[in-house]
Amino acid sequence: MDKNKKAQEEMVGFALIIIVVSVIFLAFLGLSLSDDEKESVESYEVESFVQSFLQYSSDCKEGDENLDISDLIEECTNDQICSNGEEACEILEETLEGISKESWNPSQENPVKGYELKINSPIKNIINITKGNITANSKGAIQFLENIEIIFKAYY
Amino acid sequence: MKNKIGQLKIQQMAFMLVAVIIFFAFVGMAFLSFQLSSIRDSAGTLEEKNALLLVTKLSNSPEFSCGKSFGNAKANCIDADKVMALKENIEKYSNFWGVENIEVIKIYPPQTNEECTMENYPECNIIKIRDSNKGISYSNFVSLCRKEKVTSPETESLQTKCELAKLSVSYNG
Repeated sequence: MDKNKKAQEEMVGFALIIIVVSVIFLAFLGLSLSDDEKESVESYEVESFVQSFLQYSSDCKEGDENLDISDLIEECTNDQICSNGEEACEILEETLEGISKESWNPSQENPVKGYELKINSPIKNIINITKGNITANSKGAIQFLENIEIIFKAYY
Repeated sequence: MKNKIGQLKIQQMAFMLVAVIIFFAFVGMAFLSFQLSSIRDSAGTLEEKNALLLVTKLSNSPEFSCGKSFGNAKANCIDADKVMALKENIEKYSNFWGVENIEVIKIYPPQTNEECTMENYPECNIIKIRDSNKGISYSNFVSLCRKEKVTSPETESLQTKCELAKLSVSYNG
């Protein structure tokens, strides 16, 4: 009789364990299903950002025309001076800093925590701008202008 | 006594069957959860593609795109003068793009928050083409170009001026 009671107790224990495990599993499943957070930065945004800023009309003048950023990068690679007397690299850095800051506005409160913009030619590193925190999550884009490499990464 | 042992064995088997069923239910749920997460991933990718296509479609449509007005054909380039003209005639395009809201927001150089009208253009930063609060909103970076009259003591010329903007579109699914 004692043996039977023991077996019954064991079965009840087993059933309890199964119930507890199933409750934990269901809770975990529920949590994982409800976690449908949208990504804060989409990859197409980063690609379009790079494409769009390359067309921006800078303050560097050549004759009467304002050079766009892609032309300004080439001027900076060759250490040229704009016709209004300013250095191409100086204007390039100022403009890209302003554009990146206004576009992404990185901070702890915002979805974008930081960004990194690098422009490299085979001869030198033209631009290296980093702002905010570099986190583990990033979306990036790379674009080539002949042999110049433009890399942008947004961290979120 | 024999009956009791039999009952106990039946009970034991019933418990065992319940345990087996619960086990398979767990396996099924794990599989379902995996399937659902992959479906959610592909839905996210499709949604992203759809939004990108919609914004790209708009920015490259003849009513918006720069075409060859500013030299070579440019991707993601919007002609601000065209957009202003479109804003004035938007009633003719009521269901043309199937979107609820279209607006272009200038980002750089920074300017005061002012909606563009024919009176204050181009000294403004938001061009509201279609105004509505309905739908999910998507935006993408574009280059907003226009021709600007530059006068010097000797000459008067038209120059291309491109600024950085965001094209924002909202639509119902």
